[in-house]
Amino acid sequence: MKVLIRFRSFASALVHRSRLKNEIDEELQAHIQDRASDLERSGLSRAEAGRRARLEFGGYQKFKEECREARGTRFIESLLQDIRYALRMLRKAPGFAAVAILTLALGIGANTAIFSLIDGVMLRALPVKDPQRLVLFNWKANNAPKYHGYSHYGDCEGSSDGKTGCSFSVPVLNAFRAQTSTFAGLTAFLGPTQFNVSGSGPAAVAYGEIVSGDFFSALGVRTILGRPLGPADDTPGAAPAIVLSYNYWQSEFGGELSAVGKAVRINNVAAEIVGVASPRFTSLAPGKMEDFFVPIAAMGSLAEQEWFGARQIATDPYSWWVVIMGRLKPGAKIGQAQAETTVIFRNEVLHGASPMSAAADDPRITLESAAEGLTGFRGRISSLLWVMMVAVGAILFIACANVAGLTLARSSARQKEMAVRLALGAGRARIVRQLLTESLMLSIAGGALGVLLAIWGVHAITALLTGGSSQSFGYVVAPDGRVLAFTVAVTVLTGLAFGLAPALRGTRVNLTPALKENPSSLPGGATCAGRRLRLGSALVIVQVALSILVLAGAGLLVRTLRNLHDVNPGFDTHHVLLFGLNPTQAGYKEEQTAQLYRSLQAQFAGLPGVISASYSSDVPLSNSWTITSPHLDGTPPNQSVQTETRWIGPEFFSTMRIPMLAGRAFTAGDFASAMATDAAETAAEQAWERAEVASPNGNAAARPAVGAALAHAAPVPIIINEAFAKKYFPNENPIGKHIGDYQADDYTLGALEPGSVVIGVCGNMKYRDLRREIEPAMFEPFTGGGAHFELRTAGDPAALVAAVRSVVTHADSNLPLFSVRTQTEQIDDILVHEGMMAQLSSFFAVLALVLASVGLYGLLSYEVSRRTREIGIRRAVGAQQGDVLRMVVRQGIVLALIGAAAGIGAAIAVTRYLNSFLYGVHADDPLTMIVAAVLLMLVALAACYIPARRAMKIDPMAALRFE
Amino acid sequence: MTERAQILPGTLDLLILKALSLGPLYGYGILLRIEQISQGALLIEQGALYPALFRLVHQGLLKGRWGTSENNRRTKFYGLTSAGRKRLRQEEEGWNRLAMAIASALKARPEEA
Repeated sequence: MKVLIRFRSFASALVHRSRLKNEIDEELQAHIQDRASDLERSGLSRAEAGRRARLEFGGYQKFKEECREARGTRFIESLLQDIRYALRMLRKAPGFAAVAILTLALGIGANTAIFSLIDGVMLRALPVKDPQRLVLFNWKANNAPKYHGYSHYGDCEGSSDGKTGCSFSVPVLNAFRAQTSTFAGLTAFLGPTQFNVSGSGPAAVAYGEIVSGDFFSALGVRTILGRPLGPADDTPGAAPAIVLSYNYWQSEFGGELSAVGKAVRINNVAAEIVGVASPRFTSLAPGKMEDFFVPIAAMGSLAEQEWFGARQIATDPYSWWVVIMGRLKPGAKIGQAQAETTVIFRNEVLHGASPMSAAADDPRITLESAAEGLTGFRGRISSLLWVMMVAVGAILFIACANVAGLTLARSSARQKEMAVRLALGAGRARIVRQLLTESLMLSIAGGALGVLLAIWGVHAITALLTGGSSQSFGYVVAPDGRVLAFTVAVTVLTGLAFGLAPALRGTRVNLTPALKENPSSLPGGATCAGRRLRLGSALVIVQVALSILVLAGAGLLVRTLRNLHDVNPGFDTHHVLLFGLNPTQAGYKEEQTAQLYRSLQAQFAGLPGVISASYSSDVPLSNSWTITSPHLDGTPPNQSVQTETRWIGPEFFSTMRIPMLAGRAFTAGDFASAMATDAAETAAEQAWERAEVASPNGNAAARPAVGAALAHAAPVPIIINEAFAKKYFPNENPIGKHIGDYQADDYTLGALEPGSVVIGVCGNMKYRDLRREIEPAMFEPFTGGGAHFELRTAGDPAALVAAVRSVVTHADSNLPLFSVRTQTEQIDDILVHEGMMAQLSSFFAVLALVLASVGLYGLLSYEVSRRTREIGIRRAVGAQQGDVLRMVVRQGIVLALIGAAAGIGAAIAVTRYLNSFLYGVHADDPLTMIVAAVLLMLVALAACYIPARRAMKIDPMAALRFE
Repeated sequence: MTERAQILPGTLDLLILKALSLGPLYGYGILLRIEQISQGALLIEQGALYPALFRLVHQGLLKGRWGTSENNRRTKFYGLTSAGRKRLRQEEEGWNRLAMAIASALKARPEEA
């Protein structure tokens, strides 16, 4: 009852704080006026009565204040008082406050920055309507299904052994659509892929997501301008229509309303911009960026050669290439949908014209929530962010231990203040609260500064991550509720973590000795200080151990980066200019492309400063590759081998400075022969398709027609690398060996194709990336399509960009140059994650080292000032300066050694989680550990030396007199 | 004017409770009644009355209500709660015991000590 009343009074006092103040005034004024009226009635003048009434009332402000306190707003009032007091105390110790706030700001800032990135990359919901009802289709089988073509754009985590994936054929998609009863809608998409866009300024390269007609309606994505794509846009023969992404509309069309309705040329085909997607719709799979959306059906006209070549992939059950997402009907369970779609999928892959899988392989569908399943590019970046999160967690720990140590040392200086307050009757709880208020104020100031650091840090890290590449960072990193909650929680916990122990320790004061002049000279005070010191030492040990951990991790990552940079890729990476061209997208046919390349190659080679020029299907060291499975003559018909395959232009090996080990490089005759074979194969495939359409038993019927088309085709001349020769032709001369394009039992009649013949062996080179071991690879003559040029230059390759552009524009102004960079920049680009990890972790390691040495320095300084008298006595009884120096340094070094030993132990236990990031260095590499420990000891020695010198300089007489 | 005594610390609460036991009053009225019942012998610093009133309200011994004073001013009237009445009885007994003890101690002659 009483409690209730008090609480009510307190609560209403809180709510009506300002009103209450006025009410108090009103009541007190009424009193004074009543009194004045009485006095006036007793005969005084009005003015005199008023004066006397006020006088008799006494200190108006004081009583008003007391009323307010009595009313129960004391908690808030005393909190404000605490805050005022804390501010005063911190102002009196600006050095301490600055170091503490800065330390905490670094700790909280680093954590907020990394957490914002994690939040943006991993925790953000899909930007669509009702994302929790969206599921992603994956297929699984015990053995890889026998599809003819499989492509994906990294939307989900498929396995490398081909037993799971999320690309499907269009007939399977149609079967799902026709037969499902659990989905309210299904949609398919793929990409984004590169297109040549012109019509709004000079021709440029842009990225388009290829989507089914119901993409916008099934996902619930709106347009802010114009209309979304609809099913009508996705029918064969429909006029090509595109919807722009908001960012692309802003950057390329300046956000102009007139963009909608405009005609642009995509791959040299007219298309109409019909709408602009909502700015909220950034991208589906994390990290992928799209400039516009284009219907699947439009690909027939936009990219006929690239996509629909000879094979009608929109109807071919053997081409798996679209990603499927579905929206579950209300009430439908995911398990139910999975069972239903598995039945449909099995029926399609087991009972087609030629089955792609066997019942024993148990082909099935697994459905995952779209937010989980669509991993996009986040897999690579998320694991490194977690590593960084651990590093910044360690930093925050160090920062807390550091500030706790400083606070503890300071609490010794304030021991007398505490004793006086306790003696005057302040409760211990009240003083602890006061001290915690100080801690929290420090951490809040640190947190506020930390948020600023975090904003800068996120910028710096995304800049590191997007480094050399022109692509922007494909994630939305913006502070949201989660980040805010995280920062507030970290700030408050930090304040409590570093404040509580010193506050409890600091208020455990033995009054009598503490109030005397010199606490440390008395037994009670000494025990107290001793306890404080033990805690302080433990805090320093923790800091040292954690910084060794961060140092060791950073050392491993820096060595990894250096090892990768030191890898010899088997070709000369210096003075090479790279750029891409895709004339097919500008409407060139194969023969025209070949002519264009020949002419450009000659012109580039003739530019002053260019030594030689060539081109290839892939940029060396760009993480792009093609794997083919040819059949070696003389092996069983159902066997094939795996090899990386690339298509290269003339002079490729000499331009890249790759040695020929046997045989010869390609000649003009080889290119002509390959072109002729290519044309014959295209004709054969068309003949096969015609026969298949005409007859239900297509395969047998097609055989004569295909055979006739290929009758005069010669095997394609190829060059293999040393690894291929060693692995597949051991102890044999590979020159002149014949290789089939497909397995001899291939159902698509590919076995009838002429295959290829080895004409040369080249030196091994790392083509795909720097980490991967060298694998068998073969090179074929380049016959058509987009290419990347390589120019070997005498001087700085970047200086040639303008000349190259003018050559290309002169040849065809409708041909955009893309991905212009030097080979060295390209290498930095594929090492961007390693570079970021090395840089960030080094930065964090330096930070950890500095914080730990500040902690050590603080502890020893406190020690020296506490023991001034003892040192004075020692000096007086004969200790030399050197003895004092050694005594102080020894104390610090012992702590550092214990910390370092603990840190190395922890590092060995923890760094193995870094294994997947490392290259050429083992996770418990002794050299790295030793270097980390030595570095730390050197810094620790410096941190000990300053207070030790101060101790050494203590004048014994002054020290004794001082006390 | 009669000689006035400074009141002892802690006794103001008791005087307020006593004054209000005769019926609700506003602040200035309480002051006048204390003067009246103590026959003007006690000197109260007028402003000190109010923190005490607020404290008693916060303790649940009094309750306050806005009203209009005889001088036609809006001000707050205070009355005892049942807890307040109970507290008054306890305090009266305690005070009387203390007063008697002090009085008998003071009556003692030097030779008796």
